Amino acid sequence: MNLIDAHTHLPGRSFGGKPRPIADLRREFANAGLCGAWIFTTDGLVMEAEKNNNILAEAVRGDRDFFEPFGTVNPHAGEDAAIRELERMRFELGMRGLKLHPWLQGFSLTHPSVKPILQRAGEMGLPVLFHDGTPPYSHPLQIAAVAEQVPSTMVILGHAGLDEAYEDAILACRRHPNLFLCLCGPSCGPLAEIVRRCPVDRLLFGSDGGFGSRVIETAIAKFHAAGLSQKTLQTIGCENPRRLVPKQPRRTDPPAQTHQHET
Amino acid sequence: MKVNNWHMKIVDSAMRLDSMETDGAVPSMLDEMDRFGIACAVVAPADAAVAVHNVAGNLQMVDLVTRYRGRLFGLAVANPWFGRDAVHAIEGAFARGLCGLFLHPRRQGFRLTESIVQPLLETCRRHRKPVYSSTGTPVCAEPFQLAELARQFPEIPFVMGHAGYSDFWYDVVPALKQASNLMLETSCQVAGVIDGAINVVGAERVLYGSGWPRSSPAVEIQKIERMNLGAAALRRVMRENAMKLWGIRP
Repeated sequence: MNLIDAHTHLPGRSFGGKPRPIADLRREFANAGLCGAWIFTTDGLVMEAEKNNNILAEAVRGDRDFFEPFGTVNPHAGEDAAIRELERMRFELGMRGLKLHPWLQGFSLTHPSVKPILQRAGEMGLPVLFHDGTPPYSHPLQIAAVAEQVPSTMVILGHAGLDEAYEDAILACRRHPNLFLCLCGPSCGPLAEIVRRCPVDRLLFGSDGGFGSRVIETAIAKFHAAGLSQKTLQTIGCENPRRLVPKQPRRTDPPAQTHQHET
Repeated sequence: MKVNNWHMKIVDSAMRLDSMETDGAVPSMLDEMDRFGIACAVVAPADAAVAVHNVAGNLQMVDLVTRYRGRLFGLAVANPWFGRDAVHAIEGAFARGLCGLFLHPRRQGFRLTESIVQPLLETCRRHRKPVYSSTGTPVCAEPFQLAELARQFPEIPFVMGHAGYSDFWYDVVPALKQASNLMLETSCQVAGVIDGAINVVGAERVLYGSGWPRSSPAVEIQKIERMNLGAAALRRVMRENAMKLWGIRP
Protein backbone atom coordinates (compact mmCIF):
# COMPACT_ATOMS: atom_id res chain seq x y z
CA MET A 1 0.00 0.00 0.00
CA ASN A 2 1.43 3.36 -1.03
CA LEU A 3 0.32 5.86 1.55
CA ILE A 4 0.48 9.61 1.34
CA ASP A 5 0.62 11.11 4.80
CA ALA A 6 -1.42 14.31 4.88
CA HIS A 7 -0.13 15.43 8.28
CA THR A 8 3.58 15.60 8.99
CA HIS A 9 5.89 18.24 10.42
CA LEU A 10 9.39 19.47 9.81
CA PRO A 11 10.92 19.26 13.28
CA GLY A 12 12.36 22.49 14.61
CA ARG A 13 13.55 23.90 17.88
CA SER A 14 10.13 24.39 19.42
CA PHE A 15 8.77 21.85 21.92
CA GLY A 16 12.30 20.92 22.92
CA GLY A 17 13.01 19.46 19.51
CA LYS A 18 15.89 19.89 17.13
CA PRO A 19 15.99 20.25 13.36
CA ARG A 20 16.61 17.13 11.30
CA PRO A 21 17.98 16.83 7.76
CA ILE A 22 15.21 16.33 5.24
CA ALA A 23 17.04 13.27 3.87
CA ASP A 24 16.66 11.59 7.28
CA LEU A 25 12.97 12.38 7.38
CA ARG A 26 12.41 11.12 3.87
CA ARG A 27 14.22 7.87 4.64
CA GLU A 28 12.24 7.45 7.85
CA PHE A 29 8.93 8.16 6.14
CA ALA A 30 9.67 5.83 3.24
CA ASN A 31 10.80 3.06 5.60
CA ALA A 32 7.53 3.42 7.46
CA GLY A 33 5.62 2.81 4.22
CA LEU A 34 4.90 6.28 2.88
CA CYS A 35 5.24 7.29 -0.77
CA GLY A 36 4.69 10.96 -0.10
CA ALA A 37 3.82 13.46 2.60
CA TRP A 38 2.29 16.84 3.15
CA ILE A 39 4.74 18.57 5.45
CA PHE A 40 4.20 21.58 7.70
CA THR A 41 6.46 23.84 9.63
CA THR A 42 6.58 23.32 13.39
CA ASP A 43 8.51 26.39 14.49
CA GLY A 44 6.47 28.63 12.18
CA LEU A 45 3.34 27.85 14.15
CA VAL A 46 4.78 29.44 17.26
CA MET A 47 7.07 32.16 15.84
CA GLU A 48 8.20 33.94 12.69
CA ALA A 49 5.89 32.45 10.10
CA GLU A 50 7.65 34.03 7.11
CA LYS A 51 11.12 32.94 8.15
CA ASN A 52 9.94 29.41 8.83
CA ASN A 53 8.05 29.24 5.53
CA ASN A 54 11.39 29.99 3.88
CA ILE A 55 13.11 27.31 5.95
CA LEU A 56 10.51 24.72 5.02
CA ALA A 57 10.60 25.59 1.32
CA GLU A 58 14.37 25.40 1.28
CA ALA A 59 14.41 22.13 3.20
CA VAL A 60 12.20 20.29 0.70
CA ARG A 61 13.56 22.04 -2.39
CA GLY A 62 15.29 18.92 -3.72
CA ASP A 63 12.60 16.48 -2.55
CA ARG A 64 9.48 17.89 -4.10
CA ASP A 65 8.73 14.50 -5.66
CA PHE A 66 8.01 13.28 -2.12
CA PHE A 67 7.08 16.28 0.03
CA GLU A 68 4.23 18.74 -0.55
CA PRO A 69 4.97 21.72 1.72
CA PHE A 70 2.22 23.66 3.48
CA GLY A 71 3.13 27.11 4.72
CA THR A 72 1.48 29.14 7.42
CA VAL A 73 0.43 32.70 8.13
CA ASN A 74 -0.65 34.31 11.36
CA PRO A 75 -4.05 36.03 11.32
CA HIS A 76 -2.82 38.35 14.06
CA ALA A 77 -0.51 39.91 11.48
CA GLY A 78 -3.64 41.46 10.03
CA GLU A 79 -5.57 40.69 6.88
CA ASP A 80 -3.30 42.51 4.42
CA ALA A 81 -0.02 41.21 5.80
CA ALA A 82 -1.32 37.68 6.17
CA ILE A 83 -2.62 37.58 2.63
CA ARG A 84 0.64 39.05 1.30
CA GLU A 85 2.51 36.20 2.98
CA LEU A 86 -0.04 33.69 1.73
CA GLU A 87 0.53 34.86 -1.85
CA ARG A 88 4.30 34.93 -1.39
CA MET A 89 4.44 31.42 -0.02
CA ARG A 90 2.26 30.18 -2.85
CA PHE A 91 3.85 31.95 -5.79
CA GLU A 92 7.43 32.43 -4.67
CA LEU A 93 7.94 29.41 -2.46
CA GLY A 94 5.64 26.98 -4.23
CA MET A 95 3.67 25.94 -1.14
CA ARG A 96 0.82 23.54 -1.88
CA GLY A 97 -1.42 24.32 1.07
CA LEU A 98 -1.94 26.41 4.18
CA LYS A 99 -1.60 25.06 7.70
CA LEU A 100 -3.25 26.96 10.55
CA HIS A 101 -3.07 26.10 14.23
CA PRO A 102 -5.51 28.26 16.20
CA TRP A 103 -4.33 26.83 19.50
CA LEU A 104 -0.60 27.44 19.02
CA GLN A 105 -1.07 30.61 16.99
CA GLY A 106 -3.54 31.92 19.53
CA PHE A 107 -6.40 33.09 17.35
CA SER A 108 -10.11 32.50 17.39
CA LEU A 109 -11.87 31.40 14.23
CA THR A 110 -13.92 34.57 14.61
CA HIS A 111 -10.82 36.75 14.12
CA PRO A 112 -11.67 39.13 11.26
CA SER A 113 -8.65 38.05 9.20
CA VAL A 114 -9.54 34.37 9.13
CA LYS A 115 -12.31 34.39 6.54
CA PRO A 116 -10.40 36.58 4.02
CA ILE A 117 -7.33 34.34 4.41
CA LEU A 118 -9.39 31.24 3.73
CA GLN A 119 -11.16 32.92 0.84
CA ARG A 120 -7.86 33.86 -0.79
CA ALA A 121 -6.39 30.41 -0.17
CA GLY A 122 -9.35 28.92 -2.00
CA GLU A 123 -8.92 31.30 -4.91
CA MET A 124 -5.32 30.15 -5.25
CA GLY A 125 -6.26 26.49 -5.05
CA LEU A 126 -4.65 25.93 -1.66
CA PRO A 127 -6.37 23.55 0.75
CA VAL A 128 -6.33 24.79 4.34
CA LEU A 129 -5.53 22.27 7.05
CA PHE A 130 -6.36 23.20 10.64
CA HIS A 131 -5.22 21.72 13.88
CA ASP A 132 -8.43 20.72 15.62
CA GLY A 133 -9.86 18.84 18.56
CA THR A 134 -8.72 21.15 21.34
CA PRO A 135 -10.73 23.94 22.92
CA PRO A 136 -11.22 26.83 23.11
CA TYR A 137 -10.07 27.79 19.59
CA SER A 138 -9.83 24.55 17.65
CA HIS A 139 -13.04 22.63 17.95
CA PRO A 140 -14.52 21.05 14.83
CA LEU A 141 -17.73 23.05 14.75
CA GLN A 142 -15.84 26.33 15.18
CA ILE A 143 -13.79 25.52 12.11
CA ALA A 144 -16.85 24.23 10.27
CA ALA A 145 -18.61 27.55 10.87
CA VAL A 146 -15.88 29.33 8.91
CA ALA A 147 -15.70 26.61 6.28
CA GLU A 148 -19.39 27.18 5.61
CA GLN A 149 -18.63 30.80 4.73
CA VAL A 150 -15.96 29.88 2.16
CA PRO A 151 -17.54 27.04 0.20
CA SER A 152 -14.93 27.17 -2.56
CA THR A 153 -12.07 26.57 -0.14
CA MET A 154 -11.19 23.01 0.81
CA VAL A 155 -10.93 22.95 4.61
CA ILE A 156 -9.39 20.01 6.45
CA LEU A 157 -9.77 19.16 10.12
CA GLY A 158 -6.22 17.96 10.70
CA HIS A 159 -7.13 15.62 13.57
CA ALA A 160 -10.77 14.75 12.80
CA GLY A 161 -11.72 16.03 16.24
CA LEU A 162 -9.34 13.72 18.11
CA ASP A 163 -10.93 11.26 20.54
CA GLU A 164 -12.90 13.87 22.47
CA ALA A 165 -14.65 15.63 19.58
CA TYR A 166 -14.66 13.19 16.68
CA GLU A 167 -18.45 13.01 16.73
CA ASP A 168 -18.60 16.75 16.07
CA ALA A 169 -16.11 16.28 13.25
CA ILE A 170 -18.39 13.65 11.73
CA LEU A 171 -21.35 16.04 11.86
CA ALA A 172 -19.27 18.80 10.29
CA CYS A 173 -17.99 16.55 7.52
CA ARG A 174 -21.46 15.30 6.67
CA ARG A 175 -22.89 18.81 6.56
CA HIS A 176 -20.22 20.70 4.62
CA PRO A 177 -19.08 19.37 1.23
CA ASN A 178 -15.86 21.42 1.37
CA LEU A 179 -14.82 19.93 4.70
CA PHE A 180 -12.38 17.01 4.90
CA LEU A 181 -11.16 14.98 7.87
CA CYS A 182 -7.53 13.95 8.31
CA LEU A 183 -7.55 10.82 10.45
CA CYS A 184 -4.48 11.82 12.42
CA GLY A 185 -5.08 11.19 16.08
CA PRO A 186 -8.38 9.38 16.66
CA SER A 187 -7.97 5.93 18.21
CA CYS A 188 -9.01 3.00 16.07
CA GLY A 189 -12.53 2.73 17.51
CA PRO A 190 -13.44 6.34 16.68
CA LEU A 191 -11.53 6.00 13.43
CA ALA A 192 -13.69 3.10 12.30
CA GLU A 193 -16.82 5.06 13.19
CA ILE A 194 -15.64 8.09 11.21
CA VAL A 195 -15.03 5.96 8.15
CA ARG A 196 -18.43 4.29 8.56
CA ARG A 197 -20.36 7.56 8.85
CA CYS A 198 -18.51 10.01 6.58
CA PRO A 199 -18.12 10.21 2.80
CA VAL A 200 -14.93 8.24 2.23
CA ASP A 201 -13.83 10.60 -0.53
CA ARG A 202 -13.37 13.31 2.09
CA LEU A 203 -11.09 11.42 4.44
CA LEU A 204 -7.30 11.52 4.56
CA PHE A 205 -4.59 9.48 6.23
CA GLY A 206 -2.30 11.36 8.61
CA SER A 207 0.17 10.58 11.38
CA ASP A 208 1.88 13.70 12.81
CA GLY A 209 5.07 12.15 11.42
CA GLY A 210 8.29 14.00 11.93
CA PHE A 211 8.16 13.51 15.66
CA GLY A 212 9.69 10.03 15.44
CA SER A 213 9.08 7.03 13.20
CA ARG A 214 6.87 5.36 15.79
CA VAL A 215 4.04 7.80 15.24
CA ILE A 216 3.73 6.76 11.60
CA GLU A 217 3.89 3.07 12.50
CA THR A 218 1.19 3.57 15.11
CA ALA A 219 -1.00 5.52 12.70
CA ILE A 220 -0.75 2.74 10.12
CA ALA A 221 -1.43 0.12 12.80
CA LYS A 222 -4.59 1.98 13.79
CA PHE A 223 -5.85 1.87 10.22
CA HIS A 224 -5.29 -1.86 10.04
CA ALA A 225 -6.83 -2.43 13.48
CA ALA A 226 -9.89 -0.46 12.40
CA GLY A 227 -10.55 -3.19 9.84
CA LEU A 228 -10.72 -0.97 6.76
CA SER A 229 -10.84 -2.63 3.35
CA GLN A 230 -7.96 -2.28 0.92
CA LYS A 231 -10.18 -0.23 -1.35
CA THR A 232 -11.00 2.19 1.46
CA LEU A 233 -7.34 2.42 2.42
CA GLN A 234 -6.44 3.16 -1.18
CA THR A 235 -9.06 5.90 -1.40
CA ILE A 236 -8.13 7.52 1.91
CA GLY A 237 -4.39 7.00 1.77
CA CYS A 238 -3.70 7.77 -1.85
CA GLU A 239 -6.52 8.96 -4.10
CA ASN A 240 -7.96 11.67 -1.84
CA PRO A 241 -4.69 13.47 -1.06
CA ARG A 242 -3.74 13.32 -4.73
CA ARG A 243 -7.06 14.88 -5.66
CA LEU A 244 -6.61 17.73 -3.18
CA VAL A 245 -2.94 18.28 -3.96
CA PRO A 246 -2.24 16.92 -7.43
CA LYS A 247 1.26 15.76 -8.18
CA GLN A 248 3.25 18.35 -10.10
CA PRO A 249 5.89 17.66 -12.73
CA ARG A 250 9.20 17.28 -10.97
CA ARG A 251 11.17 20.46 -10.76
CA THR A 252 14.16 21.49 -8.74
CA ASP A 253 13.05 25.04 -8.20
CA PRO A 254 9.73 26.31 -6.93
CA PRO A 255 7.39 27.73 -9.59
CA ALA A 256 8.28 31.18 -10.77
CA GLN A 257 4.81 32.39 -11.78
CA THR A 258 3.41 35.64 -10.54
CA HIS A 259 0.07 35.55 -8.84
CA GLN A 260 -1.63 37.19 -11.82
CA HIS A 261 -1.04 33.95 -13.73
CA GLU A 262 -2.82 31.94 -11.12
CA THR A 263 -5.82 34.08 -10.39
CA MET B 1 12.38 -7.80 23.72
CA LYS B 2 9.04 -8.65 22.21
CA VAL B 3 5.82 -8.46 24.15
CA ASN B 4 4.72 -11.52 22.23
CA ASN B 5 7.17 -13.53 24.30
CA TRP B 6 4.73 -12.94 27.12
CA HIS B 7 2.08 -14.93 25.38
CA MET B 8 -0.95 -15.37 27.67
CA LYS B 9 0.73 -13.41 30.44
CA ILE B 10 -0.28 -9.83 29.73
CA VAL B 11 -2.53 -8.07 32.21
CA ASP B 12 -4.62 -5.37 30.54
CA SER B 13 -5.72 -2.57 32.89
CA ALA B 14 -8.01 -0.76 30.47
CA MET B 15 -10.78 -2.69 28.79
CA ARG B 16 -14.41 -1.63 28.79
CA LEU B 17 -17.73 -3.08 27.88
CA ASP B 18 -19.00 -1.21 24.85
CA SER B 19 -22.63 -1.76 25.78
CA MET B 20 -24.72 -3.20 28.59
CA GLU B 21 -25.66 -6.05 26.25
CA THR B 22 -22.91 -8.33 27.47
CA ASP B 23 -23.77 -11.13 25.11
CA GLY B 24 -22.50 -8.89 22.35
CA ALA B 25 -19.55 -7.29 24.08
CA VAL B 26 -17.92 -10.05 26.10
CA PRO B 27 -17.26 -12.65 23.40
CA SER B 28 -15.54 -10.08 21.20
CA MET B 29 -13.54 -8.89 24.22
CA LEU B 30 -12.41 -12.44 25.03
CA ASP B 31 -11.55 -13.05 21.36
CA GLU B 32 -9.41 -9.97 21.36
CA MET B 33 -7.67 -11.10 24.55
CA ASP B 34 -7.00 -14.54 23.06
CA ARG B 35 -5.61 -13.09 19.84
CA PHE B 36 -3.06 -10.98 21.65
CA GLY B 37 -2.05 -13.11 24.60
CA ILE B 38 -3.84 -11.13 27.27
CA ALA B 39 -4.13 -13.38 30.29
CA CYS B 40 -6.60 -11.23 32.13
CA ALA B 41 -8.15 -7.80 31.97
CA VAL B 42 -9.48 -5.22 34.37
CA VAL B 43 -12.79 -4.21 32.82
CA ALA B 44 -14.91 -1.13 33.37
CA PRO B 45 -18.66 -0.99 32.72
CA ALA B 46 -20.27 0.52 29.64
CA ASP B 47 -21.13 4.21 29.32
CA ALA B 48 -24.78 3.83 30.31
CA ALA B 49 -23.76 2.05 33.50
CA VAL B 50 -21.08 4.62 34.21
CA ALA B 51 -23.41 7.58 33.82
CA VAL B 52 -26.78 6.37 35.08
CA HIS B 53 -27.34 2.66 35.69
CA ASN B 54 -24.62 2.29 38.31
CA VAL B 55 -26.07 -0.55 40.35
CA ALA B 56 -27.06 -2.57 37.31
CA GLY B 57 -23.61 -1.97 35.85
CA ASN B 58 -21.88 -3.13 39.02
CA LEU B 59 -24.03 -6.26 39.21
CA GLN B 60 -23.16 -6.95 35.60
CA MET B 61 -19.46 -6.69 36.43
CA VAL B 62 -19.86 -8.99 39.45
CA ASP B 63 -21.58 -11.51 37.19
CA LEU B 64 -18.77 -11.35 34.64
CA VAL B 65 -16.06 -11.66 37.25
CA THR B 66 -17.84 -14.73 38.63
CA ARG B 67 -18.35 -16.32 35.23
CA TYR B 68 -14.82 -15.63 34.00
CA ARG B 69 -12.95 -16.03 37.27
CA GLY B 70 -9.26 -15.26 36.89
CA ARG B 71 -9.78 -13.92 33.39
CA LEU B 72 -11.85 -10.79 33.97
CA PHE B 73 -11.66 -8.44 36.92
CA GLY B 74 -14.15 -5.65 37.34
CA LEU B 75 -14.18 -2.01 38.33
CA ALA B 76 -17.08 -0.48 40.20
CA VAL B 77 -18.90 2.64 39.07
CA ALA B 78 -21.01 5.25 40.77
CA ASN B 79 -21.89 8.68 39.51
CA PRO B 80 -20.81 11.11 42.25
CA TRP B 81 -23.97 13.14 41.70
CA PHE B 82 -25.96 10.32 43.31
CA GLY B 83 -24.38 11.25 46.65
CA ARG B 84 -25.04 8.74 49.42
CA ASP B 85 -26.50 6.27 46.94
CA ALA B 86 -23.24 6.39 45.04
CA VAL B 87 -21.30 5.51 48.17
CA HIS B 88 -23.64 2.59 48.87
CA ALA B 89 -23.28 1.44 45.27
CA ILE B 90 -19.52 1.12 45.41
CA GLU B 91 -19.51 -0.33 48.93
CA GLY B 92 -21.79 -3.07 47.67
CA ALA B 93 -19.63 -3.60 44.60
CA PHE B 94 -16.41 -3.85 46.61
CA ALA B 95 -18.06 -6.32 48.96
CA ARG B 96 -18.85 -8.48 45.92
CA GLY B 97 -15.25 -8.48 44.74
CA LEU B 98 -14.82 -5.59 42.32
CA CYS B 99 -11.24 -4.39 42.49
CA GLY B 100 -11.35 -0.61 42.17
CA LEU B 101 -13.36 2.46 41.26
CA PHE B 102 -13.77 3.71 37.68
CA LEU B 103 -14.36 7.43 37.19
CA HIS B 104 -15.27 9.03 33.89
CA PRO B 105 -15.77 12.76 34.55
CA ARG B 106 -16.91 13.56 31.00
CA ARG B 107 -19.61 10.89 31.04
CA GLN B 108 -20.56 11.50 34.65
CA GLY B 109 -20.64 15.29 34.41
CA PHE B 110 -18.26 16.48 37.09
CA ARG B 111 -14.79 17.94 37.46
CA LEU B 112 -12.27 15.71 39.18
CA THR B 113 -11.61 18.43 41.73
CA GLU B 114 -15.27 18.99 42.63
CA SER B 115 -16.17 18.19 46.20
CA ILE B 116 -18.90 15.74 45.17
CA VAL B 117 -16.29 13.09 44.39
CA GLN B 118 -14.77 13.21 47.87
CA PRO B 119 -17.20 10.76 49.56
CA LEU B 120 -16.37 8.16 46.91
CA LEU B 121 -12.67 8.64 47.50
CA GLU B 122 -13.13 8.36 51.25
CA THR B 123 -14.87 5.05 50.59
CA CYS B 124 -11.99 3.86 48.43
CA ARG B 125 -9.57 4.83 51.16
CA ARG B 126 -11.53 2.83 53.74
CA HIS B 127 -11.68 -0.20 51.46
CA ARG B 128 -8.11 0.21 50.18
CA LYS B 129 -9.22 0.28 46.56
CA PRO B 130 -7.42 2.00 43.66
CA VAL B 131 -9.12 4.64 41.52
CA TYR B 132 -8.88 4.69 37.73
CA SER B 133 -9.96 7.87 35.99
CA SER B 134 -10.19 8.57 32.30
CA THR B 135 -8.11 11.68 31.56
CA GLY B 136 -7.61 14.01 28.62
CA THR B 137 -10.86 15.95 28.62
CA PRO B 138 -10.32 19.66 29.15
CA VAL B 139 -11.79 21.28 32.25
CA CYS B 140 -13.02 18.08 33.85
CA ALA B 141 -10.39 15.33 33.50
CA GLU B 142 -6.93 16.80 33.28
CA PRO B 143 -3.71 15.18 34.54
CA PHE B 144 -3.07 17.89 37.11
CA GLN B 145 -6.62 17.58 38.46
CA LEU B 146 -6.04 13.88 39.07
CA ALA B 147 -2.65 14.66 40.60
CA GLU B 148 -4.41 17.05 42.98
CA LEU B 149 -6.69 14.24 44.15
CA ALA B 150 -3.69 11.95 44.49
CA ARG B 151 -2.07 14.51 46.76
CA GLN B 152 -5.22 14.83 48.84
CA PHE B 153 -5.50 11.05 49.21
CA PRO B 154 -1.92 9.75 49.36
CA GLU B 155 -3.12 6.35 50.64
CA ILE B 156 -5.08 5.68 47.44
CA PRO B 157 -3.32 4.59 44.25
CA PHE B 158 -4.72 6.59 41.31
CA VAL B 159 -4.42 5.64 37.64
CA MET B 160 -4.21 8.29 34.92
CA GLY B 161 -6.31 6.54 32.28
CA HIS B 162 -5.31 7.11 28.63
CA ALA B 163 -2.39 9.23 29.84
CA GLY B 164 -4.10 12.53 29.16
CA TYR B 165 -4.72 11.70 25.52
CA SER B 166 -4.69 13.66 23.38
CA ASP B 167 -3.41 17.13 24.00
CA PHE B 168 -2.54 16.97 27.68
CA TRP B 169 0.61 15.07 26.79
CA TYR B 170 2.74 17.92 28.11
CA ASP B 171 1.20 17.66 31.58
CA VAL B 172 1.68 13.92 32.01
CA VAL B 173 5.18 13.80 33.48
CA PRO B 174 4.84 16.96 35.61
CA ALA B 175 1.61 15.56 37.07
CA LEU B 176 3.21 12.19 37.79
CA LYS B 177 6.04 13.95 39.57
CA GLN B 178 3.58 15.66 41.90
CA ALA B 179 2.28 12.45 43.47
CA SER B 180 4.07 9.14 43.88
CA ASN B 181 0.70 7.37 44.27
CA LEU B 182 -0.29 8.37 40.73
CA MET B 183 0.27 5.78 38.00
CA LEU B 184 0.05 5.99 34.24
CA GLU B 185 -2.09 3.80 31.97
CA THR B 186 -0.72 3.61 28.44
CA SER B 187 -3.63 3.37 26.00
CA CYS B 188 -4.28 5.89 23.23
CA GLN B 189 -1.39 8.21 24.11
CA VAL B 190 1.62 8.33 21.77
CA ALA B 191 4.67 6.21 22.56
CA GLY B 192 6.98 9.15 23.14
CA VAL B 193 4.91 10.34 26.08
CA ILE B 194 4.84 6.88 27.64
CA ASP B 195 8.53 6.13 27.42
CA GLY B 196 9.26 9.71 28.44
CA ALA B 197 7.31 9.03 31.62
CA ILE B 198 9.10 5.73 32.17
CA ASN B 199 12.43 7.51 31.87
CA VAL B 200 11.45 10.03 34.54
CA VAL B 201 9.30 8.17 37.07
CA GLY B 202 10.26 4.58 36.33
CA ALA B 203 8.52 1.57 34.82
CA GLU B 204 7.04 0.65 38.19
CA ARG B 205 4.49 3.46 37.79
CA VAL B 206 3.25 2.51 34.34
CA LEU B 207 0.45 0.05 33.50
CA TYR B 208 -0.26 -1.44 30.11
CA GLY B 209 -3.80 -0.88 28.87
CA SER B 210 -5.33 -1.56 25.47
CA GLY B 211 -8.17 0.93 25.82
CA TRP B 212 -10.36 -1.61 23.99
CA PRO B 213 -12.75 -0.96 22.27
CA ARG B 214 -11.70 2.67 21.86
CA SER B 215 -8.25 1.47 20.88
CA SER B 216 -6.93 -2.02 20.21
CA PRO B 217 -4.33 -4.44 21.58
CA ALA B 218 -2.97 -4.64 18.02
CA VAL B 219 -2.01 -0.99 18.20
CA GLU B 220 -1.17 -0.74 21.87
CA ILE B 221 1.06 -3.81 22.18
CA GLN B 222 3.03 -2.80 19.10
CA LYS B 223 3.46 0.62 20.66
CA ILE B 224 5.03 -0.86 23.79
CA GLU B 225 7.20 -3.25 21.78
CA ARG B 226 8.73 -0.39 19.83
CA MET B 227 9.91 1.22 23.06
CA ASN B 228 12.62 -1.42 23.42
CA LEU B 229 12.21 -1.61 27.16
CA GLY B 230 14.45 -3.99 29.06
CA ALA B 231 13.03 -7.31 30.19
CA ALA B 232 12.42 -6.23 33.77
CA ALA B 233 10.69 -2.98 32.78
CA LEU B 234 8.56 -4.77 30.21
CA ARG B 235 7.50 -7.34 32.80
CA ARG B 236 6.48 -4.59 35.17
CA VAL B 237 4.53 -2.59 32.60
CA MET B 238 2.80 -5.51 30.93
CA ARG B 239 1.96 -7.54 34.00
CA GLU B 240 3.46 -7.11 37.43
CA ASN B 241 2.44 -3.54 38.21
CA ALA B 242 -1.18 -4.34 37.40
CA MET B 243 -1.22 -7.49 39.52
CA LYS B 244 0.15 -5.58 42.48
CA LEU B 245 -2.07 -2.53 42.03
CA TRP B 246 -5.36 -4.35 41.54
CA GLY B 247 -4.50 -7.22 43.86
CA ILE B 248 -5.18 -9.79 41.18
CA ARG B 249 -3.64 -13.00 39.96
CA PRO B 250 -4.53 -14.45 36.55
